[in-house]
Amino acid sequence: MNTAQRVLAAGLSLALLPSATLADESTRVALVPGGPHPYFAAWEQAGADAAKDFGLGSADYRVPQKWELGLQNQMLESLVTQGYNAFLVFPGDPVGTVAIANELAETGAPVMALAGCLKDPSEAVFCMGTDTGNSAYLGTKELLKQLGDGAKIVHFTGFLVDPNTQLRIDAVAKAAAEGGAEVIQVIADIDAPEPAEEKINAYLAAHVDEVDGIVTTAWVPAVVASNALRKIGDKRIVMVGIDHDEVVIQAIKDGFVHGTMLQNPYGQGYIGSFVADRLRSGCTVKADAPFKSNALTDKFIDSGTVFAGANDVDNYVGSMQSITKVLFDEFESTYLDC
Amino acid sequence: MGGPLRFLLSNEFGLIVLVLLFGILFSTLSPAFLSKFSLYALGRTSAVNIMIGFSMMVVIITGGLNLSVGAIGVGAAMFGGWLMQAFGMPWVPGVIGGLAMGAALGALNGVIIVRSGLHSFIITLATMSIFFGVMIYLTRAESYREISPAFTSYGRMKILGVISPLLLVTFAVAIMLSVLFRFTALGREMLVAGANARAAEISGIRVNRMITYCHMLSGILAGVAGLMLVSRTGAAIPSMAGQLGQDWLLPAFLGPVLGGTLLTGGRLSVLGTLLGSFLVTMLTTGLLLMQVGAFWIQTYLGLLLLAAVLIDLARRSYLERRKLL
Amino acid sequence: MNQKFWQSEWFGPLLITVTAIVIVSSLNPSFLSPFNIQILLLAISVNAMIAFSQMIIIAIGQMNLSVGAIGGMAAISFGGMMEVWGIPWPIAAVLSLSIGLLAGIANGALCAYTGISAFVITLASLSIFKGINLGITEAQPFYDIPDTVKSLGNDTFLHPLPWLVLPAVAAAVLLWYLLFRLPLGRAILAVGGNEHAAALSGISVPRIVIVAHAISGLLAALAGIMLVGRLQIGQPTIGDDWLILSFAAPVIGGAILTGGHVSVAGTFLGVAIVAIITQVLVLFSIDPFLVQVVLGGLILWAVGINRYREVRAHRKIAAGAI
Repeated sequence: MNTAQRVLAAGLSLALLPSATLADESTRVALVPGGPHPYFAAWEQAGADAAKDFGLGSADYRVPQKWELGLQNQMLESLVTQGYNAFLVFPGDPVGTVAIANELAETGAPVMALAGCLKDPSEAVFCMGTDTGNSAYLGTKELLKQLGDGAKIVHFTGFLVDPNTQLRIDAVAKAAAEGGAEVIQVIADIDAPEPAEEKINAYLAAHVDEVDGIVTTAWVPAVVASNALRKIGDKRIVMVGIDHDEVVIQAIKDGFVHGTMLQNPYGQGYIGSFVADRLRSGCTVKADAPFKSNALTDKFIDSGTVFAGANDVDNYVGSMQSITKVLFDEFESTYLDC
Repeated sequence: MGGPLRFLLSNEFGLIVLVLLFGILFSTLSPAFLSKFSLYALGRTSAVNIMIGFSMMVVIITGGLNLSVGAIGVGAAMFGGWLMQAFGMPWVPGVIGGLAMGAALGALNGVIIVRSGLHSFIITLATMSIFFGVMIYLTRAESYREISPAFTSYGRMKILGVISPLLLVTFAVAIMLSVLFRFTALGREMLVAGANARAAEISGIRVNRMITYCHMLSGILAGVAGLMLVSRTGAAIPSMAGQLGQDWLLPAFLGPVLGGTLLTGGRLSVLGTLLGSFLVTMLTTGLLLMQVGAFWIQTYLGLLLLAAVLIDLARRSYLERRKLL
Repeated sequence: MNQKFWQSEWFGPLLITVTAIVIVSSLNPSFLSPFNIQILLLAISVNAMIAFSQMIIIAIGQMNLSVGAIGGMAAISFGGMMEVWGIPWPIAAVLSLSIGLLAGIANGALCAYTGISAFVITLASLSIFKGINLGITEAQPFYDIPDTVKSLGNDTFLHPLPWLVLPAVAAAVLLWYLLFRLPLGRAILAVGGNEHAAALSGISVPRIVIVAHAISGLLAALAGIMLVGRLQIGQPTIGDDWLILSFAAPVIGGAILTGGHVSVAGTFLGVAIVAIITQVLVLFSIDPFLVQVVLGGLILWAVGINRYREVRAHRKIAAGAI
């Protein structure tokens, strides 16, 4: 069957059968990140695995070519036209993506915010992702464990237009205040490697002796700061990074970086695809599901975040899989009525 | 030398041919292209892109550029959103306030350019940073969501199932711009000032004032585009045009340039810009729909753009040769 | 033309650069520490290449929107050839440079033989080149960069002068020699100044346009390759944010966008000014939300001063004439 026929067949089955008895194969999940970024690469495998394990029609990873809200919207609209009927979306903007998410939900498709949340109120079933504030908070705590009282730390983070950035800045400040440390500088807007390289190195060049610790809460700054510490050859400064870029992992192994806060993109994609299918086959989200709250939504599910130091970094994939398994095993009984 | 032949040679005719050509191509390859939802979505997206194209077009006629269209658009939208949220304003005064902000920022560009005598490229490069920076500093990157529901309902409304009201706004603005530049003294003076500043000066046109007006108009149009997006997304968000508003630059240039507005100034085509922006939006939609390898879409888009301008070139040279015979 | 050196277009930028260095280093002595100089020079070297790549196109009165896309394509080709095919780095570098060169020639040939404005052609080719980059990498970086490349991208050959300074200085000297000493350079500037007049005087305009675009592609590719060394990764995002810098530096350095008039030294200083501004914002811990405002303000201030000096010079000349 070609695509057009499949769309047609899906349309027919929708018309003829009550939704509860829909065959699993009609479920076509689209996993849509905000733009090209290595963080989301695990979604492709996660979707493919879920489609195979649960017998879905497909669970495809579809990437907007640029980090543009307009382009992501256009892509989502196009996916509706193409016959996708479940959407796992990283919101290009927590508020700006609400409208399109609601429109998707109006077509009858389950919509979940993945890896980042939509701001309430929205029609998204729930949001599953890393609690960015919590991750930044825990990372800072790990950092402070290594430092004495009155330590001076700097914080490197991402784009200011991303509201998560403000959450991270606040969380790092909070953890620092609790631990008796001082955040002497926040450098933001460095999600692209070139400016990140320039700014981080410039900062370290001038202040290398005043800094005791570094916490990074975005992918690119973590990579660049790891390289910068390696370049300086300084193991006095303690750094906690984020995510699992090879550069960061290697720097941890070589002792230039203390550890990293792992997130769980694979688990988000895998569990998300599974839930999308369950929801399409008649399950509903429990009214009293034990959602957490964060700054954006009251329907938040933490996909897990875990600190990986030099000892666990070799098996970071294993760490990610084990948090996925824990979450998956209890997901249906905890959150769904089937 | 009849009018019809001249029309066949025009950019606008070429674009119409291309739109039809690619329209037929996409709908054959993927029938869903002509579904109601797809057409509605295409119209709504192009409405904004066309408006962004207009905003650049009215500055290009001065022989200049306005890199700050995105920053102004976001600034105006955020100001409008703030008025509606902080003071509970109904949407009409809120929108007027937003447009006034757009006009003010555009006029500021114009005044600095005229007074300093520097190229608009470098001035708007700097003001892009400044406008966006001040916006992000004042809002702390927070969105305004308490927009009057009447206003945001336009962004989702479907007239006859396929037409977005946003598209009607765009058409209305297109007609107003056509009237301005074709039938009013002011519009013609703007064009003359852009075509040849010295000659215009001699014939008594206040060139500097005209340039400032063009930038002010550009600011207003950017504001319209920004507010259309507010209606579409149901909120005024600082990231709607990307970092520094740079996401708008490509659509801003594509429409006017494909539409035959000369980068050297003095000549414009409202219909051409409209068709050019529409063509680009349609190409993107079509490519997304055809599921050509996800990561290769941009390559195909570039190739299609190239094909579009080359086809147009071939058509014109063919017609010109025929005319000579 | 007997131009005094303080009337030349690069004098203004030089004045700004020197003033900025004096002020900043008096407020923060670490600014002139060897390590910081090294950091500054690394940034300036790569950015100079980016700016030159645009400058040569500005010289013929056109724009090249695809510099970043060519640079990114060359960068990932460089990284990919080394990681996937295990090609030794010098060969990979040469091959990537030829990719940049070919991309430039393609740009130039399309502009020259279709008569379509370079703006449109490079807008389309920007999409094509960036798409190829994403198609190959699927947004994943190439990590396997040989240590030699990493150290060339970061280390110094003569403290605090990094290796990357060498290609930048070489490019600057060669470009200056080409533009202002060779007939080819005169032809390039003549085409930029007045295409019709140039054609009438027997210059083959299409050939010159292609040459200029070829040089531009080559320089952009070189910048991309240098960045792979500096960042130690073959990042697919390399080149995404070059566009503004590529125009800002030549223009701050006195280039005229309509063509025929560029300054190699001025462009170099323009790059230096932008690098110093970026550093200052970090060194003085400016509120991150205000960084953009300050950056914009400083660009205005820089070009404003330049302009003021020009206007005064003109008045003086006018007064002298009377």
